[in-house]
Amino acid sequence: MTIEAWILLGVYVFTAALLFAIPREKIRLAVVAFLFKQFITFLIGLVVVEWGLLEYPVRLFPSVSRSSFTYEFFAYPLTCAIFNVWYPNNRNLLIQFMYYVAFTTVLTIGEVIIEIYTDLITYIHWEWYISWISICLTFYMTRRFCIWFFAKEHGEIY
Amino acid sequence: MQKEFVILLILWMIGIIGFFALIVRKDVRRGILAFLLFQAVIWFFDMFVFKYGLLYAPVREFPEAHEFPLTIVYFFHPLLFSIFYVYKRLNFNFIYFSIWISSITLFDVVIEHYTDLLEFRSMTWYGLWVYFGFLYYASNICCDWFYKDKSVFQVEKWGT
Repeated sequence: MTIEAWILLGVYVFTAALLFAIPREKIRLAVVAFLFKQFITFLIGLVVVEWGLLEYPVRLFPSVSRSSFTYEFFAYPLTCAIFNVWYPNNRNLLIQFMYYVAFTTVLTIGEVIIEIYTDLITYIHWEWYISWISICLTFYMTRRFCIWFFAKEHGEIY
Repeated sequence: MQKEFVILLILWMIGIIGFFALIVRKDVRRGILAFLLFQAVIWFFDMFVFKYGLLYAPVREFPEAHEFPLTIVYFFHPLLFSIFYVYKRLNFNFIYFSIWISSITLFDVVIEHYTDLLEFRSMTWYGLWVYFGFLYYASNICCDWFYKDKSVFQVEKWGT
């Protein structure tokens, strides 16, 4: 197996292990965050590849889609689910802001390392800060959506 | 080429108008959840359907990026499922289910026959019927699970 295949496998195993970090009473919040994030990444992931901004030379289902199924269907939405279930809702704004920065930065650094050392992703007309901004923005959009979805009519505290 | 894009535009318009016309305000969250869930399910299984060449889409929105018909997979079928889910009776009704599955299979067959948006390779119309039946059944179970705890979700009471 190539290093890329091992990394893909590692991503699946690691993100699947993250499932155990979801508290039982927040499974529905995780599901909504996961699904809404997929709704975003499905379209945006295809657009950036179509416009030639990014390339995923090694990927799953290479004949069907040129975007990264692993990242856009599974790893990133699941990270977003974790982001939402552990969100420090009752803490002050600075901590909430740092929470966004921490998640976004870790994901961006991971992506940059993978970009440099493997063929899983190649930046063409792309920079690390575009990744950073888009990840942060989509986290925020998903957060707002979850808050709306679980607003007081549902009687659940998120 | 031109005809297909007009049809795609019509599908988007029918879909958006249909969603707002048919899903009443108190069911909006339920409808959106069903939409998102079905989208994830059909995305996953269509990867295999297109990988193994059961279906093919000659005319596509992003011909470089993907092989499947985006409007139909990303938007139209999830939307049909959300309308199906919001309108279904509490218990799973087989007649309603069969009529619905037959209608969307007919829709896909018509699209296949008269346009270049979809092309059957090794897929047949009854294969598609079974495939949609499976997708609907699986998504229906997932949505029912999501809403099974009535004390957590009181969507029905909201807005009444």
